[in-house]
Amino acid sequence: MPKFTRRQFLGASGALAGGLALSSLGIPLGALQAHARDLSKAGRIKTARTTISTCYYCSVSCGLLCSTDQKTGQIINIEGDPDHPISEGSLCAKGAAMFQMSDHNQHRLAKVLYRRPFGTEWEVKDWDWAVEKMARNIKSVRDQDFMYKNAQGQVVNRLETIGHMGSSKVDNEECWLITTMARALGLVHIDHQARV
Amino acid sequence: MQGKSMIVDTSLCTACRGCQVACKQWHGLPGTKTKQTGTYQNPPDLSADTYKLVRFAEGRKEDGKPYWHFFSDSCRHCLDPGCMAGDQNNSIVQDKRTGAVLYTQGTRKLNYRAVREGCPYNIPRQDPRSKVLCKCDMCIDRLRDNMVPACVQACPTGALHFGDRRRILHKVALRVVELKKHYPKARALNPQDVRVVYIVTDDPDTYFELAEA
Repeated sequence: MPKFTRRQFLGASGALAGGLALSSLGIPLGALQAHARDLSKAGRIKTARTTISTCYYCSVSCGLLCSTDQKTGQIINIEGDPDHPISEGSLCAKGAAMFQMSDHNQHRLAKVLYRRPFGTEWEVKDWDWAVEKMARNIKSVRDQDFMYKNAQGQVVNRLETIGHMGSSKVDNEECWLITTMARALGLVHIDHQARV
Repeated sequence: MQGKSMIVDTSLCTACRGCQVACKQWHGLPGTKTKQTGTYQNPPDLSADTYKLVRFAEGRKEDGKPYWHFFSDSCRHCLDPGCMAGDQNNSIVQDKRTGAVLYTQGTRKLNYRAVREGCPYNIPRQDPRSKVLCKCDMCIDRLRDNMVPACVQACPTGALHFGDRRRILHKVALRVVELKKHYPKARALNPQDVRVVYIVTDDPDTYFELAEA
């Protein structure tokens, strides 16, 4: 059997399925080319392995259907689960963008980008360097500014010169980790865009 | 042919833009680089990469009270599409089963300006690279598999409904009667001419100048 790459395989099967579907819908076959690409997606989802999951962004926990291509093992679509008792298939803008969190998204950063003070360019750094740098900065600022007691002499144990800005793309469990770490350091300025 | 229809009930819309994102996600369309323009409407307009856009409009009513209207804009899938008027080579087709108006690759040979001017809602857009005309395709591939369009599935507030045209028009009529109790201006926009029927609670112009044909 000749070896197909994923693209060739999907192209061939998609065009075939698309052609059959279009002719049964009564669309002139001249239109086939236009929708072959789109139709291949619905066809692929039909044959994909479906996994039930839960949106992790907020406590509503809407249901998700993840479609994984059986051949490649890659996620090809994520959308709301119509059978879910709470969300009944609906998703907000963040949940609907869940697919972006899969490795299908080529825009996700894969390397550490660093912009030095007063710098104008991003520099590519490795993780070891970045973690070391962050730990060093946090330690030196905390050693310098940590406040044991306030002006009234009350014990406060806080650090006011570092703030933590959470991401809108972290899940509930990551939020817990971030908060725990920030509180342990004595931070009081902790913010996070948990919901839309 | 009755085909399919969709309700966009603006009285229920919270402008979360789940429909807009779900549309992009399903069609695999890229994001658009934009700038902060002082409104949540983003990207600012429909494009070859944006088939659905939630429009935000704000202002003051006659009584001085402020309003903030949301309008999930996309192709209306007209029963008698104006964009098809100048199409000589069958590159714009109407799906027999659903009534969806579909732009094929052949639209790259059409006169873009003429097609756009033929649309009373200013929906068609041209891909600057391939010259193909683009717009909402009612998720025709999903309909084939008995799925509802991606935007309808995503809508968390129930502002979007999809179904057989006869039942949808019945639902529209009931909803307008219900809304009229509180909003005397409530009505459906061009329900006899389009498949995507918008229900508004105020003058359509206050939502978007091309909300109604």
